[in-house]
Amino acid sequence: MARLNQMAEPMRTHVADLPCPQFDTTPWTAGTKLSEQRVAIVSTAGLHKRGDRPFQGIEGDYRIIPGNTMANELVMTHVSTNFDRTGFQQDWNVVFPLDRLRELADEGIIGSVADYHYSFMGAADPSQMASHAENLAQLLKGDGVNAVLLVPV
Amino acid sequence: MGALAHYLERESIPTTQISLIYEHTEKIRPPRALWVPFELGRPLGVPENARFQKKVLQSVLELFEAEQGPVLAAFEEEAPASGSEKTAEADAWSCPVNFSPPRQEETDPEKRVSAFKREMAQLRPWYDQGLEKRGRTAMTDFDPETAEAILSNYLLGEHVEIPRKGLSLAVALRLAAQDLKSFYFEAASSRPGARAPDIREFAEWYWNQTAAGWILKEIQKKCADEQDKDLRLTGKMFLVPAGQNA
Repeated sequence: MARLNQMAEPMRTHVADLPCPQFDTTPWTAGTKLSEQRVAIVSTAGLHKRGDRPFQGIEGDYRIIPGNTMANELVMTHVSTNFDRTGFQQDWNVVFPLDRLRELADEGIIGSVADYHYSFMGAADPSQMASHAENLAQLLKGDGVNAVLLVPV
Repeated sequence: MGALAHYLERESIPTTQISLIYEHTEKIRPPRALWVPFELGRPLGVPENARFQKKVLQSVLELFEAEQGPVLAAFEEEAPASGSEKTAEADAWSCPVNFSPPRQEETDPEKRVSAFKREMAQLRPWYDQGLEKRGRTAMTDFDPETAEAILSNYLLGEHVEIPRKGLSLAVALRLAAQDLKSFYFEAASSRPGARAPDIREFAEWYWNQTAAGWILKEIQKKCADEQDKDLRLTGKMFLVPAGQNA
């Protein structure tokens, strides 16, 4: 489990020592209730469509995952070998819950699912992601997204 | 992850996130986060359990209804065992192929590579069966034979053919190593009527009982002596998990 104090060494120290960016303030944009949400997934699992460019380094860039992507088209090229990938191998929803979002939309629990989703590769330096995230924000606005679900790995 | 929340929210995009490491999220202070007690690599908790995944998903999306933040909530329910990883009888998992485990004293790379190739040949029908059953594979860039050739040839000092344009040798080795692990897991999970190995069972088998695990540890050592810094970094960080080093 991901309780730091219960992790085995040397993973515990490795995870505990990962640098965390510091921010003086927390920005806040009001959210909406479930039934009005148009949700996009932004993953940091290094996901992309098979055939798209694999994540090669820590450039901080992202890949676009169209909303009609199917499970057999999505692959993971995150650089880290320290987290479990067997869950993703059995069921992509454990990392990228697109089927679950589609179901929540079909059931009328959330408003809709975005046309596009995105993945970064989480081992990148966060400061390298900043400009890419600003660019991504414009794409999300264009898609009418009012609820971004960030999913780590 | 938390940094992305700051960057997007600054651009007036509301965000919520799953947190796997509470201590990190506490420091980064994103606007909305739901800490979950799940394994790294499983942010929605458990494969093949739509009901549980949906419960986690709905909990994290409900944070958008908070009137002010930052909000760091906790999802305290542990992930249940997944359908394919547990059995009523709780039998010990075993590999569908009974290949002879590599002799630990055997250090001749050519013999080890031969053992590795035999393993892959024996596992291939199980991999194919799993692919047919699941309709997908997590292998990314290479088919099993290509991944095998990249790793074997590199270890033996032979020419490494990289089929995809623009990939460096370092990236090709990393992707081939990941694909190899996916191949072994998918093959090992495909015996009809038997469960998939859990994370620990798979790691113990793969890293300590297969020629594939030995090959990757040898490649790790070889990379350490390379001039190319990307190869050195790949060997040090991206082939063998912390705790499994040779």
